[in-house]
Amino acid sequence: MAQIEIRDLGIDYRKPKSNEVFSAVDNVALSVEKGEFVTIVGSSGCGKSTLLMAVAGLVSLTRGSIQIDGKQINGPGPDRAVVFQEASLLPWRSVRGNVKFGLEMQRWNGGDLNERAMQMIRLVGLGRFSDYHPHQLSGGMRQRVNIARALAVDPQVLLMDEPFGALDAQTREIMGTELLRIWERDKKTALFVTHDIDEAIFLADKIVVMGRNPGHIKEVIKVNLPRPRNEAILDSEDFHELRKRLRAHLAEDMSSMQLVQEVA
Amino acid sequence: MIAELFYRRQALVLGTLSMIGIVVFWQIAVDTGFINPFFISTPSQVAAEFITQFEDGSVATNVAATLYCFAWSLGLATVVGIILGMLAGWFADVESALEPFIWFKYSAPTVAFYPLFVAWLGYGTPTIIAIAFLFALTPIYANTLSGIKNTDRDLARAARSFGARPLDIFLRVALPGSVPVMMAGLRLGVGRALTGVVVAELFGANAGLGYAITYYGQLMQTTKMMVSIVIVIVLGVLLTQILSFLETRTDSWRVDSNR
Ligand SMILES: Nc1ncnc2c1ncn2[C@@H]1O[C@H](COP(=O)(O)OP(=O)(O)OP(=O)(O)O)[C@@H](O)[C@H]1O
Ligand SMILES: [Mg+2]
Repeated sequence: MAQIEIRDLGIDYRKPKSNEVFSAVDNVALSVEKGEFVTIVGSSGCGKSTLLMAVAGLVSLTRGSIQIDGKQINGPGPDRAVVFQEASLLPWRSVRGNVKFGLEMQRWNGGDLNERAMQMIRLVGLGRFSDYHPHQLSGGMRQRVNIARALAVDPQVLLMDEPFGALDAQTREIMGTELLRIWERDKKTALFVTHDIDEAIFLADKIVVMGRNPGHIKEVIKVNLPRPRNEAILDSEDFHELRKRLRAHLAEDMSSMQLVQEVA
Repeated sequence: MIAELFYRRQALVLGTLSMIGIVVFWQIAVDTGFINPFFISTPSQVAAEFITQFEDGSVATNVAATLYCFAWSLGLATVVGIILGMLAGWFADVESALEPFIWFKYSAPTVAFYPLFVAWLGYGTPTIIAIAFLFALTPIYANTLSGIKNTDRDLARAARSFGARPLDIFLRVALPGSVPVMMAGLRLGVGRALTGVVVAELFGANAGLGYAITYYGQLMQTTKMMVSIVIVIVLGVLLTQILSFLETRTDSWRVDSNR
């Protein structure tokens, strides 16, 4: 039995100022094995965040079901933790305070909160910055804090929504490598949304390609590149192949978007 | 940093200079016979009169009476404003229920209630406190309300993702996030409470700065009256500055709650 089992998932949103609904995601089925790193790519607006937030238990399902370890999800739970795209740190709390926040909300009772938080902060390489406040950190450092906060609660499943979306290419690459280093320790099941093709391949055991109108899964691509990985694989033959395949998918989506624009 | 400090200094220096300028101009204008001292007195006379009133204890009496009413009205307005503001910010129904009163307060001048309060509470301290309370209540309430209501949705969502309950979100996200706006409301409230006290004292009191102003005003003793006016101004500036200082302290997010 897979760790995450998504069946016939559909999520409708109400359109603003009307009673009409529209489907952000429809007919999505996906299984994710324990310890698998799954990346989700697709053009903007195809429902990637919606899918992720559904797994997080932060949006309600219109159709279908999501099970984790065989149990139907019902709202957020301690088995999952989310890393949001940005701006989800409490500005009035220090790095340590922010990492402790998730633990506090979960009523964590696995030992000293401060110690646990410091452990995670060191893990993401911010040991010297534990007393800094978010406004004193760079974007990359903030995302490290977000990751530390999510890891601190020791979830079964890590959900990440474009965590490096706001970073420059260089930093993004470093963060990707860092993330893999951390992930290799205990190989938590991970769902990772991204716009970046290279990032999607570099991190993944499996890439989910989504299409739009309504959001659906177009293809699931297995990535068999060896682990542990480093930047060297970016130049490998297999990597090139995968990159080409993903490009073709996204180009297809772009051309359908242009069509929409022409009609409009 | 140094530039900022210099800029601050510069603002302070310029502000002080312009104040001194006005005082000098005031003195010269009267000395040269440009303005009749009967209407406005002179800085030197006011200073001398201040010393007299200070020595005979009437400054202390009046300041004490005014500050007493000020403290009560501000304290009550803070407690009531923050509690109502928190409720209204969190529960939309409470906000809707309180909305008419707020509109009413914005459109009707608060002093208009004066006779009503006199009828209920009689002349003097209770009425003064009630009027000043109403003066100060609105900004404290309105700011608390908007702070809680505009809680960052992303932060609330992040909290929920970790299993936060509504009360957790209120106490750990909404409330700390609202502190700067609430402090700004409090700063406005301080100024308005003082105004409220003085205005109410103008109408009827037996001590206090507002009382002294009307009392000497009616006797046409401009110099004696000016002493109390100047004290009111200085008090207002002082209290507001203290609040501004506290406000920047809480606003910077640099205060470490160490949590
Ligand atoms: N709360 C909401 N109410 C109504 N519509 C929504 C809501 N959230 C998202 N949508 C709509 O659902 C669709 C999918 O949005 P979603 O955020 O999942 O896309 P995405 O793939 O994450 O896009 P991006 O890559 O730009 O982040 C969009 O058309 C969006 O307008
Ligand atoms: Mg998104």
